[in-house]
Amino acid sequence: MIGQLSRRTPVIVQGATGRAGIVHVRRMKEYGTNIVAGVSARGAGTTVEGVPVFADCRAAVGAIGAQVSLLMVTPNAVLASAEDAIAAGIKLIVTVAEGVPVQDAMRVGRIVRAAGAQWVGASTPGLAVPGEMKLGFLPNVSLRPGPLGMMSKSGTLSYETGYRLATMGLGQSIWVGVGGDLVKGLRFPDLLDTFLEDERTKGIVLVGEIGGSEEEDFADALMKAKTQKPVYALVAGRGAKEGVAMGHAGALVYGNVGTFASKKQRLEAAGARVFATIEDLIETCGRDHGGR
Amino acid sequence: MLIVESDGKALLRSCGIAVPEGTVVAAGETPTLSGADPWIVKAQVPVSGRGRAGGVIRCDSAAAVNATLKRMFDISIKGHLVHRCLVEHPATGTETYLSLMLDPANYGVRVTLIREGGVNVEESGLSEHNSRLCEPEHTAIVAALRELTAELALLDFGDKLARLFLDRELILAEINPLFVGANSCVAGDAKLVVDLNAAERQPEIARLIEAAPEIYPDAVRKLRDGFDYVEVDPKGEIGLLTTGAGLSMMLIDEMTARGGKPLNFCDIRTGLLRGDPTRLIKVLGWIGERDVKVLLVNIFAGITDLAEFAELLCVALERTPSLNAPVVARIVGNRVDEARAIFAAKRPDIAVEEQLTVALGRVDAILRGAAS
Repeated sequence: MIGQLSRRTPVIVQGATGRAGIVHVRRMKEYGTNIVAGVSARGAGTTVEGVPVFADCRAAVGAIGAQVSLLMVTPNAVLASAEDAIAAGIKLIVTVAEGVPVQDAMRVGRIVRAAGAQWVGASTPGLAVPGEMKLGFLPNVSLRPGPLGMMSKSGTLSYETGYRLATMGLGQSIWVGVGGDLVKGLRFPDLLDTFLEDERTKGIVLVGEIGGSEEEDFADALMKAKTQKPVYALVAGRGAKEGVAMGHAGALVYGNVGTFASKKQRLEAAGARVFATIEDLIETCGRDHGGR
Repeated sequence: MLIVESDGKALLRSCGIAVPEGTVVAAGETPTLSGADPWIVKAQVPVSGRGRAGGVIRCDSAAAVNATLKRMFDISIKGHLVHRCLVEHPATGTETYLSLMLDPANYGVRVTLIREGGVNVEESGLSEHNSRLCEPEHTAIVAALRELTAELALLDFGDKLARLFLDRELILAEINPLFVGANSCVAGDAKLVVDLNAAERQPEIARLIEAAPEIYPDAVRKLRDGFDYVEVDPKGEIGLLTTGAGLSMMLIDEMTARGGKPLNFCDIRTGLLRGDPTRLIKVLGWIGERDVKVLLVNIFAGITDLAEFAELLCVALERTPSLNAPVVARIVGNRVDEARAIFAAKRPDIAVEEQLTVALGRVDAILRGAAS
């Protein structure tokens, strides 16, 4: 689904009439996203930026049709909104809220999996196909069409990376923020096939961080894939304090679980290059992919 | 986040799980010891491998307990100062490892039982022999455990632990060692990882955290103030006022690699300031309590209005006289030119940069100047 997203893909925004919802519906439309409907229990019957608002996803899908929904709702409302979306037949949900309880994320994950759908989030700025569309609020200054597929846990660290790539004339084919939570939708290894099958993608930039085992699981998948596409990785949080979550709920090291050393070692064993600084990663991408 | 053993054991007790008889001692206190020796003195810090780091000491007399406590309150273990110790009688039984852990990739729970305690599960390795993945439901967890053991005492223990794990929305519940007797089990240790995002509906856990701000300063700040600030090195020389968890972590890593000593991690969330400098004043105040040589501000404004941020920062700096270190501000994005003009007019002493590498160079230069 993610590999096929374009400016023609119809998109629903749940929570479209909230403070953030209104702002980002406008920004996404300006960028090129084809937003066809909003969902809001209280705002039903109104419009946001010219987009009709429905009481729930079922009504929106029934009237307009769409398979993609962006959830701009509060953390405690993510579970109910995701249930609504999946029940309405949505095949890709993106949830940007930060602070979704882990048990809620477990339930969303299971509902999405049972429906054969996909989930990006939570705690993410969203995803983008630069030059085509974006779901969420990845900053335009960091977006530029180009040869690198980006997957990232952190919003800001990926903004910085995208911005510097864009500044040197490089850009992204697809950019997916998987988010900083421990329990989430798509994880790094789940995205590998999408990026390998995508012809625009000539290399992969992975912006990871300490905590959990996503980077390690990605390394295992990469090892099995035997691809020629190069992988460039950052792993933030080498200096993190054990036992304390560093901002992101998932960025937690305890014992040998989730450490920088484990991630670097496994990624490198699978053929990825792990860089100590953002600058090193940018320079290498520039050399390999013809930046200016 | 990981809570300390004594808090973990408080949760275990609340659901009817037996733990060794013991007493919690704060720095400066002398415990009233009951019963016969020996005792075990355990530093209450939220890390693994306390034993190897000198945080768990067996004592054969009350005098030894007091001497050990005195020593313990002077040390730090893996970056955590010791503010609290647990003094316990050792339990008896067969040492065993039992853990329930959320499996994020499968949306399930992993149940692991290893019949020798005192091990690291990473060292021992998971196999069909000692571990099962199951649905995150009570009956499924109990059934998984039944596939791993037939011992009634263990099954009874697992039943209670599963209830606690689900009801309290835990991410990890690791009991190592678990002392297994003929009729009952005693949890010798408790390593529980709690979900701070669920704190609102888990008042018992929120209370434990709020009752111990000296142990959980970062979590208490997060619950109280709604953003993240973690002091990584109280003797740090570089104060950070930054937005974004990942970029803040990466900055700490890069500065450390260059020989710098960052004081703190910070994700201020400029998007939530909404025209109010209170949050900035708070962070600058915490940094001002320490002896930093430079303040680095780093804001990547995808959406944030940098002009508004510049105004707020000028106000906040003015209201924080305790912080008088030079300031390097790296700002990029939305309305950066207006922000530059505001700094130039109000705080011409601030070094404003757009490129992060240049800003880091400025920080280095200030630190070199301070050193010479």
